[in-house]
Amino acid sequence: MNTSEKVLIKGNYAIAQAAVNAGCQCYFGYPITPQTEIGEYLSSEMPELGRAYVCAESELAAINMVLGATATGVKAMTTSSSCAVALMQEALSYACGDELPVVLVNVMRAGPGLGYIYPAQGDYNQAVYGGGNGDYKIVVLAPSNVQECIDYTYRAFYLAQKYRNPVILLADGLLGQMMEPASFGEYPYPEVDISSWALTGAKNRAARAIYSVGPNEKKHIQHVYDLFEKFETIKKNETTFEEFQVEDADLILTAFGSMTRNIKAAMRLLREKGLRVGCFRPITLSPFPHERISELALKGKKFMVVEMNMGQMFKDIKYAVGDKSQVSLLNRPCGEWLSVDEIVEAVLEEVKNVARV
Amino acid sequence: MERNFIIAGFGGQGVLLAGTILANSFMLAGKNVTWYPCYGAEMRGGTVNCEIVVSNEEVSSVHKKDTDYALVLNQQSFDKFVERVKSGGTIVANSTLVAETRPRADIEYVFVPMGDLANELGTSKVTNMVALGVLSSVVEVVDKEFLALGFEKVMGEKKKDLLPLNKKALESGFGAVSLV
Repeated sequence: MNTSEKVLIKGNYAIAQAAVNAGCQCYFGYPITPQTEIGEYLSSEMPELGRAYVCAESELAAINMVLGATATGVKAMTTSSSCAVALMQEALSYACGDELPVVLVNVMRAGPGLGYIYPAQGDYNQAVYGGGNGDYKIVVLAPSNVQECIDYTYRAFYLAQKYRNPVILLADGLLGQMMEPASFGEYPYPEVDISSWALTGAKNRAARAIYSVGPNEKKHIQHVYDLFEKFETIKKNETTFEEFQVEDADLILTAFGSMTRNIKAAMRLLREKGLRVGCFRPITLSPFPHERISELALKGKKFMVVEMNMGQMFKDIKYAVGDKSQVSLLNRPCGEWLSVDEIVEAVLEEVKNVARV
Repeated sequence: MERNFIIAGFGGQGVLLAGTILANSFMLAGKNVTWYPCYGAEMRGGTVNCEIVVSNEEVSSVHKKDTDYALVLNQQSFDKFVERVKSGGTIVANSTLVAETRPRADIEYVFVPMGDLANELGTSKVTNMVALGVLSSVVEVVDKEFLALGFEKVMGEKKKDLLPLNKKALESGFGAVSLV
Protein backbone atom coordinates (compact mmCIF):
# COMPACT_ATOMS: atom_id res chain seq x y z
CA MET A 1 0.00 0.00 0.00
CA ASN A 2 2.97 2.25 -0.60
CA THR A 3 1.13 4.43 -3.09
CA SER A 4 -0.70 7.67 -3.49
CA GLU A 5 -3.94 5.82 -4.22
CA LYS A 6 -6.72 6.54 -1.76
CA VAL A 7 -8.03 3.56 0.15
CA LEU A 8 -10.84 3.34 2.64
CA ILE A 9 -9.04 2.13 5.75
CA LYS A 10 -9.51 1.87 9.50
CA GLY A 11 -7.38 4.12 11.70
CA ASN A 12 -5.86 1.13 13.47
CA TYR A 13 -4.84 -0.56 10.22
CA ALA A 14 -3.58 2.78 8.89
CA ILE A 15 -1.28 3.17 11.89
CA ALA A 16 -0.05 -0.39 11.49
CA GLN A 17 0.71 -0.07 7.77
CA ALA A 18 2.31 3.34 8.31
CA ALA A 19 4.63 1.76 10.89
CA VAL A 20 5.58 -0.86 8.31
CA ASN A 21 6.28 1.85 5.72
CA ALA A 22 8.29 3.84 8.26
CA GLY A 23 10.62 0.88 8.59
CA CYS A 24 9.48 -0.40 11.97
CA GLN A 25 11.50 -3.59 12.45
CA CYS A 26 9.96 -4.81 15.70
CA TYR A 27 6.45 -4.72 17.07
CA PHE A 28 5.73 -5.78 20.63
CA GLY A 29 2.23 -5.57 22.00
CA TYR A 30 -0.55 -6.97 24.06
CA PRO A 31 -4.16 -6.83 22.85
CA ILE A 32 -6.65 -4.34 24.25
CA THR A 33 -9.77 -2.76 22.75
CA PRO A 34 -10.01 -0.38 20.89
CA GLN A 35 -6.58 -0.86 19.26
CA THR A 36 -6.29 -4.64 18.88
CA GLU A 37 -6.42 -4.45 15.06
CA ILE A 38 -2.93 -2.89 15.03
CA GLY A 39 -1.40 -6.01 16.53
CA GLU A 40 -3.66 -8.24 14.47
CA TYR A 41 -2.49 -6.60 11.24
CA LEU A 42 1.17 -6.67 12.17
CA SER A 43 1.02 -10.29 13.36
CA SER A 44 0.74 -11.35 9.73
CA GLU A 45 2.51 -8.45 8.02
CA MET A 46 5.73 -8.36 10.06
CA PRO A 47 6.74 -12.04 9.76
CA GLU A 48 6.11 -11.91 6.01
CA LEU A 49 8.62 -9.07 5.76
CA GLY A 50 11.12 -10.91 7.95
CA ARG A 51 10.53 -8.46 10.78
CA ALA A 52 9.72 -9.19 14.42
CA TYR A 53 6.23 -9.48 15.88
CA VAL A 54 5.86 -10.55 19.48
CA CYS A 55 2.59 -10.80 21.35
CA ALA A 56 4.12 -10.12 24.76
CA GLU A 57 2.90 -11.62 28.02
CA SER A 58 1.98 -8.17 29.35
CA GLU A 59 2.13 -4.48 28.52
CA LEU A 60 5.06 -4.14 30.88
CA ALA A 61 6.97 -6.72 28.87
CA ALA A 62 5.96 -5.13 25.56
CA ILE A 63 7.26 -1.66 26.33
CA ASN A 64 10.47 -3.00 27.82
CA MET A 65 11.02 -5.08 24.69
CA VAL A 66 10.71 -1.84 22.73
CA LEU A 67 13.35 -0.28 24.96
CA GLY A 68 15.66 -3.20 24.28
CA ALA A 69 15.08 -3.16 20.53
CA THR A 70 15.48 0.60 20.13
CA ALA A 71 18.76 0.45 22.08
CA THR A 72 20.17 -1.48 19.13
CA GLY A 73 19.17 1.34 16.77
CA VAL A 74 16.25 -0.35 15.03
CA LYS A 75 12.83 1.24 14.80
CA ALA A 76 10.37 -0.42 17.17
CA MET A 77 6.88 0.25 18.40
CA THR A 78 4.26 -0.82 20.85
CA THR A 79 0.60 0.12 20.85
CA SER A 80 -1.98 0.00 23.58
CA SER A 81 -4.86 1.81 25.20
CA SER A 82 -5.34 4.00 28.26
CA CYS A 83 -5.40 1.71 31.31
CA ALA A 84 -2.68 -0.46 29.77
CA VAL A 85 -0.54 2.53 28.80
CA ALA A 86 -0.70 3.37 32.50
CA LEU A 87 1.31 0.21 33.09
CA MET A 88 4.06 1.50 30.78
CA GLN A 89 4.82 4.74 32.57
CA GLU A 90 7.90 3.51 34.41
CA ALA A 91 9.47 2.35 31.15
CA LEU A 92 8.73 5.71 29.48
CA SER A 93 10.67 7.51 32.20
CA TYR A 94 13.55 5.08 31.62
CA ALA A 95 13.33 5.57 27.85
CA CYS A 96 13.65 9.33 28.30
CA GLY A 97 16.54 8.92 30.69
CA ASP A 98 18.20 6.39 28.38
CA GLU A 99 17.35 8.55 25.34
CA LEU A 100 15.72 5.70 23.45
CA PRO A 101 13.62 6.36 20.31
CA VAL A 102 10.54 4.54 21.52
CA VAL A 103 7.30 4.90 19.55
CA LEU A 104 4.14 4.29 21.56
CA VAL A 105 0.61 4.55 20.19
CA ASN A 106 -2.20 5.13 22.66
CA VAL A 107 -5.67 4.62 21.19
CA MET A 108 -7.55 6.17 24.10
CA ARG A 109 -10.59 4.67 25.79
CA ALA A 110 -12.47 5.86 28.83
CA GLY A 111 -11.02 5.87 32.34
CA PRO A 112 -10.23 6.07 35.16
CA GLY A 113 -9.24 2.54 36.10
CA LEU A 114 -10.53 -0.11 33.74
CA GLY A 115 -13.09 2.44 32.54
CA TYR A 116 -14.73 1.26 29.35
CA ILE A 117 -13.89 0.58 25.73
CA TYR A 118 -15.60 3.56 24.15
CA PRO A 119 -13.48 6.51 23.05
CA ALA A 120 -12.38 9.38 25.31
CA GLN A 121 -9.58 11.93 25.58
CA GLY A 122 -8.74 11.37 29.22
CA ASP A 123 -5.05 10.57 28.74
CA TYR A 124 -3.91 14.07 27.84
CA ASN A 125 -2.25 14.43 31.24
CA GLN A 126 -0.88 10.91 31.14
CA ALA A 127 0.77 11.53 27.77
CA VAL A 128 1.84 15.15 28.16
CA TYR A 129 2.87 15.16 31.82
CA GLY A 130 3.53 11.46 32.23
CA GLY A 131 3.20 9.07 35.13
CA GLY A 132 6.84 8.11 35.39
CA ASN A 133 9.38 9.40 37.90
CA GLY A 134 11.78 12.26 37.51
CA ASP A 135 12.09 15.16 35.10
CA TYR A 136 11.35 14.08 31.57
CA LYS A 137 9.33 15.07 28.55
CA ILE A 138 7.77 13.04 25.78
CA VAL A 139 6.84 14.26 22.33
CA VAL A 140 3.08 13.82 21.85
CA LEU A 141 1.33 13.99 18.46
CA ALA A 142 -2.48 14.08 18.23
CA PRO A 143 -4.07 13.08 14.89
CA SER A 144 -7.62 14.13 14.03
CA ASN A 145 -8.42 11.84 11.10
CA VAL A 146 -7.20 8.65 9.46
CA GLN A 147 -4.88 10.45 7.04
CA GLU A 148 -3.16 12.09 9.99
CA CYS A 149 -2.89 8.71 11.72
CA ILE A 150 -0.62 7.79 8.81
CA ASP A 151 1.24 11.11 8.57
CA TYR A 152 1.92 11.38 12.28
CA THR A 153 2.96 7.75 12.63
CA TYR A 154 5.64 8.56 10.04
CA ARG A 155 6.55 11.68 11.97
CA ALA A 156 6.65 9.79 15.28
CA PHE A 157 9.28 7.37 13.99
CA TYR A 158 11.34 10.21 12.54
CA LEU A 159 11.23 12.48 15.60
CA ALA A 160 11.94 9.59 17.96
CA GLN A 161 15.21 8.83 16.19
CA LYS A 162 16.10 12.42 15.35
CA TYR A 163 16.00 13.43 19.01
CA ARG A 164 16.53 10.04 20.68
CA ASN A 165 13.35 10.59 22.65
CA PRO A 166 10.10 8.65 23.10
CA VAL A 167 7.18 9.81 21.00
CA ILE A 168 3.53 9.07 21.75
CA LEU A 169 0.90 9.06 19.02
CA LEU A 170 -2.21 9.97 20.99
CA ALA A 171 -5.24 8.72 19.05
CA ASP A 172 -8.61 7.62 20.42
CA GLY A 173 -11.13 4.84 19.90
CA LEU A 174 -12.99 6.93 17.38
CA LEU A 175 -9.93 7.26 15.14
CA GLY A 176 -8.88 3.67 15.72
CA GLN A 177 -12.22 2.25 14.67
CA MET A 178 -13.30 4.60 11.91
CA MET A 179 -12.60 4.08 8.22
CA GLU A 180 -11.79 7.02 5.99
CA PRO A 181 -10.18 7.48 2.59
CA ALA A 182 -6.46 7.98 3.06
CA SER A 183 -3.27 7.48 1.12
CA PHE A 184 0.06 6.21 2.38
CA GLY A 185 2.48 7.79 -0.07
CA GLU A 186 6.11 7.11 0.79
CA TYR A 187 7.74 7.50 4.19
CA PRO A 188 8.71 11.16 3.76
CA TYR A 189 11.63 11.51 6.17
CA PRO A 190 15.36 10.83 5.79
CA GLU A 191 16.91 7.95 7.72
CA VAL A 192 18.61 9.15 10.88
CA ASP A 193 22.23 8.15 11.51
CA ILE A 194 22.24 6.13 14.72
CA SER A 195 25.79 4.82 14.41
CA SER A 196 27.22 7.06 17.14
CA TRP A 197 25.16 5.57 19.95
CA ALA A 198 23.35 2.36 18.97
CA LEU A 199 24.41 -0.91 20.59
CA THR A 200 25.39 -2.85 17.53
CA GLY A 201 28.23 -4.99 18.89
CA ALA A 202 31.64 -3.61 19.91
CA LYS A 203 33.61 -5.25 17.13
CA ASN A 204 36.34 -2.82 15.98
CA ARG A 205 35.19 -0.09 18.33
CA ALA A 206 35.13 0.76 22.03
CA ALA A 207 32.34 -0.77 24.11
CA ARG A 208 29.24 1.33 24.81
CA ALA A 209 26.48 1.23 27.35
CA ILE A 210 23.10 2.93 27.49
CA TYR A 211 21.80 3.89 30.91
CA SER A 212 19.87 6.79 32.32
CA VAL A 213 22.56 7.92 34.74
CA GLY A 214 25.88 6.91 36.26
CA PRO A 215 26.33 6.86 40.05
CA ASN A 216 27.94 10.26 39.82
CA GLU A 217 26.17 13.35 41.05
CA LYS A 218 27.85 15.83 38.74
CA LYS A 219 27.24 13.65 35.68
CA HIS A 220 23.64 13.08 36.72
CA ILE A 221 22.87 16.77 37.09
CA GLN A 222 24.48 17.49 33.74
CA HIS A 223 22.51 14.67 32.12
CA VAL A 224 19.20 16.18 33.20
CA TYR A 225 20.29 19.63 32.03
CA ASP A 226 21.28 18.12 28.69
CA LEU A 227 17.93 16.38 28.38
CA PHE A 228 16.11 19.64 28.98
CA GLU A 229 18.30 21.49 26.52
CA LYS A 230 17.22 18.85 24.01
CA PHE A 231 13.57 19.39 24.90
CA GLU A 232 14.08 23.13 24.27
CA THR A 233 15.46 22.32 20.82
CA ILE A 234 12.47 20.08 20.15
CA LYS A 235 10.15 22.87 21.26
CA LYS A 236 11.86 25.34 18.97
CA ASN A 237 11.92 23.04 15.93
CA GLU A 238 8.92 20.78 16.19
CA THR A 239 6.02 22.62 17.87
CA THR A 240 3.15 22.46 15.41
CA PHE A 241 -0.44 23.62 15.40
CA GLU A 242 -3.21 24.47 13.00
CA GLU A 243 -5.37 27.57 13.13
CA PHE A 244 -8.36 28.66 11.10
CA GLN A 245 -9.76 32.16 10.77
CA VAL A 246 -8.21 33.36 14.03
CA GLU A 247 -7.16 36.76 12.67
CA ASP A 248 -10.55 38.47 12.96
CA ALA A 249 -11.96 36.09 15.59
CA ASP A 250 -13.40 37.25 18.92
CA LEU A 251 -13.66 33.68 20.19
CA ILE A 252 -11.31 30.83 19.37
CA LEU A 253 -12.57 27.26 19.71
CA THR A 254 -9.74 24.99 20.81
CA ALA A 255 -9.55 21.21 20.71
CA PHE A 256 -7.09 18.40 20.12
CA GLY A 257 -7.30 15.09 18.27
CA SER A 258 -10.59 13.98 16.77
CA MET A 259 -12.55 16.76 18.49
CA THR A 260 -10.83 19.15 16.07
CA ARG A 261 -13.28 18.01 13.40
CA ASN A 262 -16.25 19.16 15.43
CA ILE A 263 -14.94 22.60 16.33
CA LYS A 264 -14.13 23.22 12.66
CA ALA A 265 -17.68 22.29 11.63
CA ALA A 266 -19.10 24.40 14.49
CA MET A 267 -16.95 27.33 13.37
CA ARG A 268 -18.38 27.12 9.84
CA LEU A 269 -21.95 27.20 11.19
CA LEU A 270 -21.21 30.07 13.59
CA ARG A 271 -19.54 32.08 10.81
CA GLU A 272 -22.73 31.62 8.77
CA LYS A 273 -24.59 33.18 11.70
CA GLY A 274 -22.24 36.16 11.48
CA LEU A 275 -20.16 35.37 14.58
CA ARG A 276 -16.43 35.93 14.38
CA VAL A 277 -15.27 32.52 15.58
CA GLY A 278 -11.93 30.87 14.85
CA CYS A 279 -10.31 27.52 15.59
CA PHE A 280 -7.00 26.56 17.11
CA ARG A 281 -5.69 23.06 17.32
CA PRO A 282 -2.34 21.96 18.75
CA ILE A 283 -0.87 19.08 16.73
CA THR A 284 2.02 18.56 19.13
CA LEU A 285 0.49 18.42 22.61
CA SER A 286 4.04 18.26 23.85
CA PRO A 287 5.79 20.55 23.06
CA PHE A 288 2.62 22.62 23.49
CA PRO A 289 2.19 25.84 21.47
CA HIS A 290 1.87 28.08 24.56
CA GLU A 291 3.52 31.04 22.84
CA ARG A 292 1.07 31.25 19.96
CA ILE A 293 -1.90 31.03 22.33
CA SER A 294 -0.42 33.80 24.52
CA GLU A 295 0.02 35.91 21.41
CA LEU A 296 -3.62 35.46 20.42
CA ALA A 297 -4.80 36.09 23.99
CA LEU A 298 -2.80 39.32 24.04
CA LYS A 299 -4.92 40.49 21.10
CA GLY A 300 -7.96 40.09 23.36
CA LYS A 301 -9.29 36.90 21.82
CA LYS A 302 -11.32 34.65 24.13
CA PHE A 303 -10.91 30.88 24.12
CA MET A 304 -13.32 27.99 24.50
CA VAL A 305 -11.71 24.59 25.05
CA VAL A 306 -13.74 21.61 23.83
CA GLU A 307 -12.54 18.20 25.00
CA MET A 308 -13.71 14.73 26.04
CA ASN A 309 -12.25 14.77 29.56
CA MET A 310 -12.71 16.83 32.69
CA GLY A 311 -10.60 19.74 31.45
CA GLN A 312 -7.06 18.50 30.96
CA MET A 313 -5.87 20.58 27.98
CA PHE A 314 -7.97 23.40 29.47
CA LYS A 315 -5.24 23.89 32.09
CA ASP A 316 -2.55 24.34 29.44
CA ILE A 317 -4.64 26.87 27.55
CA LYS A 318 -5.43 28.66 30.79
CA TYR A 319 -1.72 28.79 31.63
CA ALA A 320 -0.89 30.20 28.20
CA VAL A 321 -3.70 32.77 28.31
CA GLY A 322 -2.96 33.83 31.90
CA ASP A 323 -4.81 37.02 32.80
CA LYS A 324 -4.60 38.34 29.24
CA SER A 325 -8.02 37.03 28.24
CA GLN A 326 -10.74 34.53 29.20
CA VAL A 327 -10.99 30.77 28.78
CA SER A 328 -14.11 28.63 29.11
CA LEU A 329 -14.53 24.87 28.98
CA LEU A 330 -17.06 22.69 27.18
CA ASN A 331 -16.49 19.07 28.06
CA ARG A 332 -17.82 15.61 28.88
CA PRO A 333 -15.72 12.85 30.45
CA CYS A 334 -16.53 10.22 27.80
CA GLY A 335 -19.40 8.67 25.84
CA GLU A 336 -21.08 10.39 22.93
CA TRP A 337 -18.71 12.93 21.35
CA LEU A 338 -19.70 16.56 21.96
CA SER A 339 -21.72 17.27 18.84
CA VAL A 340 -21.35 20.18 16.46
CA ASP A 341 -24.79 21.40 17.59
CA GLU A 342 -23.79 21.33 21.25
CA ILE A 343 -20.71 23.38 20.50
CA VAL A 344 -22.73 25.89 18.47
CA GLU A 345 -25.28 26.18 21.31
CA ALA A 346 -22.56 26.66 23.92
CA VAL A 347 -20.99 29.47 21.88
CA LEU A 348 -24.35 31.17 21.32
CA GLU A 349 -25.01 30.94 25.06
CA GLU A 350 -21.63 32.44 25.86
CA VAL A 351 -22.11 35.27 23.39
CA LYS A 352 -25.50 35.99 24.96
CA ASN A 353 -23.93 36.18 28.41
CA VAL A 354 -21.21 38.48 27.16
CA ALA A 355 -23.79 40.76 25.60
CA ARG A 356 -25.72 40.98 28.88
CA VAL A 357 -22.61 42.10 30.78
CA MET B 1 -23.93 19.38 3.28
CA GLU B 2 -23.35 16.53 5.70
CA ARG B 3 -25.59 13.44 5.70
CA ASN B 4 -25.37 10.43 7.96
CA PHE B 5 -26.63 6.89 7.65
CA ILE B 6 -27.04 4.11 10.17
CA ILE B 7 -27.13 0.56 8.85
CA ALA B 8 -28.23 -2.04 11.39
CA GLY B 9 -29.28 -5.66 11.60
CA PHE B 10 -28.38 -9.07 13.03
CA GLY B 11 -24.75 -10.02 13.21
CA GLY B 12 -24.31 -12.08 10.00
CA GLN B 13 -26.64 -10.07 7.78
CA GLY B 14 -23.69 -8.25 6.24
CA VAL B 15 -24.42 -4.92 7.86
CA LEU B 16 -20.80 -3.83 8.35
CA LEU B 17 -19.97 -4.99 4.83
CA ALA B 18 -22.91 -3.04 3.40
CA GLY B 19 -21.63 0.02 5.27
CA THR B 20 -18.13 -0.53 3.94
CA ILE B 21 -19.43 -0.80 0.37
CA LEU B 22 -21.54 2.33 0.82
CA ALA B 23 -18.53 4.22 2.23
CA ASN B 24 -16.36 3.05 -0.67
CA SER B 25 -19.01 4.17 -3.14
CA PHE B 26 -18.88 7.65 -1.63
CA MET B 27 -15.09 7.69 -1.74
CA LEU B 28 -15.10 6.62 -5.39
CA ALA B 29 -17.62 9.37 -6.13
CA GLY B 30 -15.06 11.85 -4.80
CA LYS B 31 -16.82 12.69 -1.55
CA ASN B 32 -15.47 12.86 1.97
CA VAL B 33 -16.70 9.96 4.05
CA THR B 34 -16.24 8.36 7.45
CA TRP B 35 -17.39 4.87 8.47
CA TYR B 36 -17.75 4.04 12.13
CA PRO B 37 -18.89 0.72 13.63
CA CYS B 38 -20.47 -0.07 16.92
CA TYR B 39 -17.72 -1.98 18.64
CA GLY B 40 -17.06 -3.79 21.83
CA ALA B 41 -19.11 -6.22 23.81
CA GLU B 42 -21.50 -7.19 21.02
CA MET B 43 -23.27 -10.51 21.46
CA ARG B 44 -23.58 -13.25 18.88
CA GLY B 45 -27.12 -13.10 17.58
CA GLY B 46 -27.39 -9.52 18.79
CA THR B 47 -27.67 -6.43 16.64
CA VAL B 48 -24.76 -4.76 14.96
CA ASN B 49 -24.62 -1.37 13.31
CA CYS B 50 -22.37 1.11 11.61
CA GLU B 51 -22.64 4.78 10.84
CA ILE B 52 -21.56 6.42 7.59
CA VAL B 53 -21.18 10.17 7.31
CA VAL B 54 -20.77 11.73 3.88
CA SER B 55 -19.95 15.34 3.19
CA ASN B 56 -18.66 17.63 0.49
CA GLU B 57 -16.57 19.26 3.20
CA GLU B 58 -14.42 17.67 5.87
CA VAL B 59 -16.54 15.17 7.84
CA SER B 60 -17.12 16.40 11.39
CA SER B 61 -18.24 14.04 14.09
CA VAL B 62 -19.20 10.43 13.83
CA HIS B 63 -20.84 8.78 16.83
CA LYS B 64 -23.79 11.13 16.38
CA LYS B 65 -26.91 10.78 18.45
CA ASP B 66 -29.31 11.05 15.51
CA THR B 67 -29.31 10.17 11.83
CA ASP B 68 -30.71 11.37 8.51
CA TYR B 69 -31.26 7.84 7.23
CA ALA B 70 -31.57 4.48 8.96
CA LEU B 71 -31.38 1.25 6.97
CA VAL B 72 -32.60 -1.55 9.24
CA LEU B 73 -32.63 -5.24 8.42
CA ASN B 74 -34.33 -6.69 11.51
CA GLN B 75 -37.04 -5.81 14.02
CA GLN B 76 -34.71 -5.01 16.94
CA SER B 77 -32.84 -2.51 14.80
CA PHE B 78 -36.09 -0.91 13.66
CA ASP B 79 -37.24 -0.54 17.26
CA LYS B 80 -33.93 0.90 18.35
CA PHE B 81 -33.21 3.30 15.48
CA VAL B 82 -36.70 4.55 14.60
CA GLU B 83 -36.26 6.79 17.65
CA ARG B 84 -32.95 8.13 16.39
CA VAL B 85 -34.01 9.25 12.92
CA LYS B 86 -34.02 13.04 12.64
CA SER B 87 -37.35 14.72 12.15
CA GLY B 88 -37.92 14.70 8.38
CA GLY B 89 -35.49 11.78 7.96
CA THR B 90 -36.21 8.36 6.50
CA ILE B 91 -36.13 4.83 7.83
CA VAL B 92 -35.73 2.09 5.23
CA ALA B 93 -36.70 -1.31 6.58
CA ASN B 94 -36.51 -4.95 5.51
CA SER B 95 -40.18 -5.90 5.80
CA THR B 96 -39.29 -9.59 5.51
CA LEU B 97 -38.29 -9.32 9.16
CA VAL B 98 -39.77 -5.98 10.23
CA ALA B 99 -43.46 -5.37 10.94
CA GLU B 100 -44.87 -2.42 8.98
CA THR B 101 -45.61 -0.01 11.79
CA ARG B 102 -45.28 3.78 11.78
CA PRO B 103 -44.68 4.85 15.38
CA ARG B 104 -43.71 8.44 14.47
CA ALA B 105 -45.50 10.87 12.20
CA ASP B 106 -42.51 13.15 11.51
CA ILE B 107 -40.36 10.72 9.49
CA GLU B 108 -40.67 8.84 6.19
CA TYR B 109 -40.99 5.05 6.03
CA VAL B 110 -39.90 2.75 3.22
CA PHE B 111 -40.71 -0.94 3.67
CA VAL B 112 -39.30 -3.42 1.16
CA PRO B 113 -39.17 -7.23 1.63
CA MET B 114 -35.42 -7.32 1.06
CA GLY B 115 -34.98 -10.84 2.42
CA ASP B 116 -37.64 -12.20 0.05
CA LEU B 117 -36.10 -10.40 -2.92
CA ALA B 118 -32.73 -11.88 -2.02
CA ASN B 119 -34.21 -15.36 -1.77
CA GLU B 120 -35.76 -14.91 -5.21
CA LEU B 121 -32.20 -14.42 -6.47
CA GLY B 122 -31.27 -17.69 -4.83
CA THR B 123 -29.68 -16.70 -1.55
CA SER B 124 -30.48 -14.59 1.50
CA LYS B 125 -26.78 -13.69 1.59
CA VAL B 126 -27.40 -10.82 -0.82
CA THR B 127 -30.02 -9.18 1.43
CA ASN B 128 -27.51 -6.47 2.24
CA MET B 129 -26.96 -5.66 -1.44
CA VAL B 130 -30.73 -5.57 -2.07
CA ALA B 131 -30.89 -3.17 0.87
CA LEU B 132 -28.24 -0.90 -0.66
CA GLY B 133 -30.15 -1.00 -3.95
CA VAL B 134 -33.25 0.19 -2.11
CA LEU B 135 -31.24 2.92 -0.43
CA SER B 136 -29.92 4.13 -3.80
CA SER B 137 -33.45 4.60 -5.10
CA VAL B 138 -34.57 6.47 -1.98
CA VAL B 139 -31.55 8.69 -1.28
CA GLU B 140 -30.20 10.93 -4.02
CA VAL B 141 -26.60 10.98 -2.82
CA VAL B 142 -26.40 7.16 -2.97
CA ASP B 143 -25.57 5.98 -6.50
CA LYS B 144 -25.99 2.37 -7.57
CA GLU B 145 -23.23 2.53 -10.20
CA PHE B 146 -20.78 3.65 -7.53
CA LEU B 147 -22.17 0.98 -5.18
CA ALA B 148 -21.23 -1.66 -7.77
CA LEU B 149 -17.75 -0.14 -8.03
CA GLY B 150 -17.58 -0.05 -4.23
CA PHE B 151 -18.47 -3.75 -4.14
CA GLU B 152 -15.65 -4.53 -6.59
CA LYS B 153 -13.20 -2.47 -4.56
CA VAL B 154 -14.09 -4.19 -1.30
CA MET B 155 -14.26 -7.75 -2.62
CA GLY B 156 -11.14 -7.50 -4.77
CA GLU B 157 -9.98 -9.68 -7.65
CA LYS B 158 -10.44 -12.97 -5.84
CA LYS B 159 -14.19 -12.62 -5.46
CA LYS B 160 -14.89 -11.07 -8.85
CA ASP B 161 -17.21 -13.94 -9.74
CA LEU B 162 -19.67 -12.71 -7.10
CA LEU B 163 -20.17 -9.41 -8.91
CA PRO B 164 -22.96 -10.39 -11.36
CA LEU B 165 -25.22 -11.78 -8.62
CA ASN B 166 -24.61 -8.79 -6.36
CA LYS B 167 -25.29 -6.38 -9.21
CA LYS B 168 -28.60 -8.16 -9.74
CA ALA B 169 -29.34 -7.75 -6.05
CA LEU B 170 -28.65 -4.01 -6.30
CA GLU B 171 -30.98 -3.75 -9.32
CA SER B 172 -33.65 -5.77 -7.57
CA GLY B 173 -33.57 -3.44 -4.57
CA PHE B 174 -33.42 -0.36 -6.77
CA GLY B 175 -36.49 -1.40 -8.73
CA ALA B 176 -38.48 -2.53 -5.71
CA VAL B 177 -39.49 0.81 -4.25
CA SER B 178 -41.77 1.89 -7.08
CA LEU B 179 -43.56 -1.45 -6.76
CA VAL B 180 -44.35 -0.94 -3.08
